[in-house]
Amino acid sequence: MKEIRIGVISFEHMHALSYTTELGKIEGVQLAGIADSDEYRGTKMASRFGTKYYNDYHDLLTEGLDGVIICTNNSMHCQVSCDALDSGCHVLVEKPFAICKEDAEKMLNHAKANGKRIMNAFPMRFNPNVIEAKKAVDEGRIGTILSITGINHGKIPSGWFIDKKLSGGGGVMDHTVHLADLIRWFTGSEFSSVYCESGDLLHNRNIDDTGLVMAHMENGAFVTIDCSWAHHRNYPIWPQVDMEIIGTKGTIELKAFAQVNHVTDQKNSIIEDLCWNEDGDAGLIREFADVIRTGREPNASGLDGARALEVAEAAYRSSKSHRQEQVIHVEA
Amino acid sequence: MQRVAIIGAGTMGRTHCNAYLNIPDAQIVAVCDLDRSKAEGLAVRHGAAVFTSYEEMMSAAEFDILDICLPTYLHCKYALDAMEHGLHVFCEKPIALTEEDALKMIEKAEECNVRFTVGHVLRFFPSYSNAAELCREGRVGVPRLIRTTRNQAFPGWSWQNWYADYEKSGGPFVDLVIHDIDWIIHNFGEVERVYASSFNGKAERQEHGIAILRLKNGTICHVEGSWAYPKGSVFRMTYEIAGTDGDIEYDSVKDAPVWIQSSEDGQYRSDFLNPMSGPVEPYMLELKSFINAVEEGREPLISGQEALSALRVSLAALESSRTGCAVTV
Repeated sequence: MKEIRIGVISFEHMHALSYTTELGKIEGVQLAGIADSDEYRGTKMASRFGTKYYNDYHDLLTEGLDGVIICTNNSMHCQVSCDALDSGCHVLVEKPFAICKEDAEKMLNHAKANGKRIMNAFPMRFNPNVIEAKKAVDEGRIGTILSITGINHGKIPSGWFIDKKLSGGGGVMDHTVHLADLIRWFTGSEFSSVYCESGDLLHNRNIDDTGLVMAHMENGAFVTIDCSWAHHRNYPIWPQVDMEIIGTKGTIELKAFAQVNHVTDQKNSIIEDLCWNEDGDAGLIREFADVIRTGREPNASGLDGARALEVAEAAYRSSKSHRQEQVIHVEA
Repeated sequence: MQRVAIIGAGTMGRTHCNAYLNIPDAQIVAVCDLDRSKAEGLAVRHGAAVFTSYEEMMSAAEFDILDICLPTYLHCKYALDAMEHGLHVFCEKPIALTEEDALKMIEKAEECNVRFTVGHVLRFFPSYSNAAELCREGRVGVPRLIRTTRNQAFPGWSWQNWYADYEKSGGPFVDLVIHDIDWIIHNFGEVERVYASSFNGKAERQEHGIAILRLKNGTICHVEGSWAYPKGSVFRMTYEIAGTDGDIEYDSVKDAPVWIQSSEDGQYRSDFLNPMSGPVEPYMLELKSFINAVEEGREPLISGQEALSALRVSLAALESSRTGCAVTV
């Protein structure tokens, strides 16, 4: 099997750490280098993973890579993705896909023009518990889906995440997309209209940290997404992705991160729930490697990323108008 | 001592009868139901008279309070009549199906100078009242995001299947979710805006409604009520209150102290029990609270106006779920 070479652009988003670790576990994949405009962070990571450091990602892109993983801040996704696609790389870009519809369209067009694949990092599609629930739905065990209630709570992140210029938005941008993607995947239907109440309600950081989204799907199902950074620093677990799925023949309650050990650590005064199963990152990175090898359409494609972004954008419009907003679709 | 007559010997009538056994200041003197055997079943433990006609009961029995445990669409008619006869009225929730009916009941109680309350019993559930108390103490800072659920199978047990007729029950927003709406308004603030979705009769014997509320103080709420769970599934209620400094969560199934699994005639059965007996039994507490108000000649803890406020939000949710527009309350 031909070895494939993958580069990582930026550790601004901390998921780069786990993605790069997973890369190292796949046979026939070489980590070709790490680019990061932050020299301290970039050199530290390059040493940790035993690879070459590039300050300017353009230099990394001249090294004849097969693919890159992009974990810059959200506002950079478009430019870096387009440059990478133009250099002949397949791309895996962190979610949200982009910060606006126009950027998303540009990225999809660059992929098409260069004959390359662009994939969006939706690790939940590769979470074993999500996969199990999806299988039950596909087997018809709960009949037709009539409604889904999704909760993606978490703790408030720091740094660029809470700077709208760099992130494109707060919790509504950061957390709506995961569940919007899973809901599309589970129902096989597109979002039609979206309503949202949101605000800077919990943490006083001048960005939307709390949000409730309610939406109607084209097939008639209605869904809700709680995208709030609702948890405080001593909440026992960071990730929470829950779905209550109501079908015509039954229901599913999915708690994607329920497989934990409950840890009480007196010495450090910590009570913590620690997941012991794969979270989805490993499957995501394996998928990307396979997409590079085969050139096939990825599960969690750029278009899936753009479709989830459309929901977040409609949610922001509705937060302002207090009305149900129609989803404006990116052209496929 | 207050003499009480119960009209409606279904699930709620039975629940109330049991609760009165632990209220020394009240005595059930009459039970009325179209089904004599049902009325007798309840009356026997109280030595109460049995009636199959309201009019007959009104002329033959003497009492101070009418406790209405009838289907919702009958609340108004019997409440108005009882008030006109000078009786105090305890009415099961929801107060009525329409604002007009609710207003008539409130005005009639004032006009006749009788005490009137509505059974928003959730306020007396110890987990719910404790959580509200913790919030008042500031344990979570300012409450900002509230989620509630109240989920079960389609109610298949009702008389003439009246729950299934939304003209008579109002469906889950008016019958089920109103519990949480009242708890939210009372403890966390008035509602400004409502947006909601529901199956609205599209699915056969499955109903499911969710409302997003924006309170006047800015807090947002996700309130869910379901009759869409598979037949035989356990009733479950949950809440989560996220505040500026912390979080409170409760789940009646996950946090149930007693889980019983059994096999009867080859049928598996699973029950999650949350014993609330003695001094914390919520139905006893709500009825006792009303009895005390009547005895002491003061306004009941839950006024007709409050019951109407909750109904208005439920009706706004219903309207929003039909029109797709957010409704300002």
